[in-house]
Amino acid sequence: MDPNQTVGENYANPKTCFFHVLFKAGALAFYILSALFFNSFVIIFVVTVLLAALDFWVVKNVSGRILVGLRWENEINDLGESVWKFECLDQESLARMNKKDSWLFWWTLYLTAVAWIFLGIFSLIRFQADYLLVVGVCVSLSIANIVGFTRCRKDAKKQIQQFASQTIASRMSSTIQSAFSVV
Amino acid sequence: MSHGDTVPLHPSSQSDIDEIENLINISAHSSVLPAKPQSPPRASIPISSSPFISSNIPQPSYQPQQQQQQSKPKPQSQSLPVPPVLPISNISPNSNGMSGFGSPVNTLTEPVWDTVKRDLSRIVSNLKLVVFPNPNREDPGKALRDWDLWGPFFFIVFLGLVLSWSASVKKSEVFAVAFALLAAGAIILTLNVLLLGGHIIFFQSLSLLGYCLFPLDVGALICMLKDNVILKVVVVCVTLAWSSWSAYPFMSSAVNPRRKALALYPVLLMYVSVGFLIIAID
Repeated sequence: MDPNQTVGENYANPKTCFFHVLFKAGALAFYILSALFFNSFVIIFVVTVLLAALDFWVVKNVSGRILVGLRWENEINDLGESVWKFECLDQESLARMNKKDSWLFWWTLYLTAVAWIFLGIFSLIRFQADYLLVVGVCVSLSIANIVGFTRCRKDAKKQIQQFASQTIASRMSSTIQSAFSVV
Repeated sequence: MSHGDTVPLHPSSQSDIDEIENLINISAHSSVLPAKPQSPPRASIPISSSPFISSNIPQPSYQPQQQQQQSKPKPQSQSLPVPPVLPISNISPNSNGMSGFGSPVNTLTEPVWDTVKRDLSRIVSNLKLVVFPNPNREDPGKALRDWDLWGPFFFIVFLGLVLSWSASVKKSEVFAVAFALLAAGAIILTLNVLLLGGHIIFFQSLSLLGYCLFPLDVGALICMLKDNVILKVVVVCVTLAWSSWSAYPFMSSAVNPRRKALALYPVLLMYVSVGFLIIAID
């Protein structure tokens, strides 16, 4: 078996956790430190927003799947309506998810959003509209991910409850059927 | 399943899981892949690539599972109200009969490279649908079905960069203004259509307006490389017409026919102003 899992103390997916944190920290660090090195706003903007967009993609497509087993999509169906689709792993895989992984996932998600909002307030106070633009883009990306994954998690819990009650109902009915068939 | 000893499961739930397994084995008769990658103790992404799944197969070939209480209703509101047979939520309509678990496992456990390829091909196909002539243009709902914002993002940033490079002074401001103009313009144009009583989805329209910037991107690039004024005017006019032509069907079919002009005029105005920006930059 996997020694990491039985110990339960280490991260089960260290590489994914690393990437999950890398782009977030990179975007924040670059934004904060860039004033020291670059005069040009364009570079700051493009690199920060690029890192934030990469982070969004990584969280949505890779670390969400691996660390917490959730995935959200928004698609348009045949009627032309917007439909949110949530996918999650089955219950036993979810139960097997490393606690540390998911703790890291959720906490970094919330913390980055808070950090960007804080930086936004900062640049608002200094009346720097163009930096506010950068922060605005990054905040909206973080919040999109938070909203998507929170809804996905709620949906997953609901589905698990539904499934549990269905299973109980079906087991009861099959028990009753078998009892009657014996008779 | 067989690794139940790693997780402290209640004994009754273990038998539930065995029952589910039996159901899967019975019902997954046309599985191309094994029903589940052989229960890795942690959710690892398999190295081998899984088959390429396009994300919008309209007709679900959903296996009627034994425990399914009702057939899948047409998706009405926010989330698909599909009762899960197995403890996987929301069997999405692109279950193509791969396995008893349906496609959620396939998109959840697909290798990362597959996701990248899928997203890239989505961008390319969206671009081709929007900008180049193709038979689907008359039905806008179908054309930009799986919208994405990556394409528009790259095009807007690219246009801003090109304009900023072409400018000899105030480069940062040019970039910021171009980006803000395009982003805010797209949002406002979408709001305009919505307020006119049109039927359009916010992100779909943002995505469309972003993709329609592609011709202007090309025009701006040409203008940056060649500095002749006449050439610039000609190129900008051509690309402007191309952009407006690609945006036309989607915008016009989204609103009441009597209000077509009201919806289209601001779009035209925005592209004309971007065109002027391209010409006027020195």
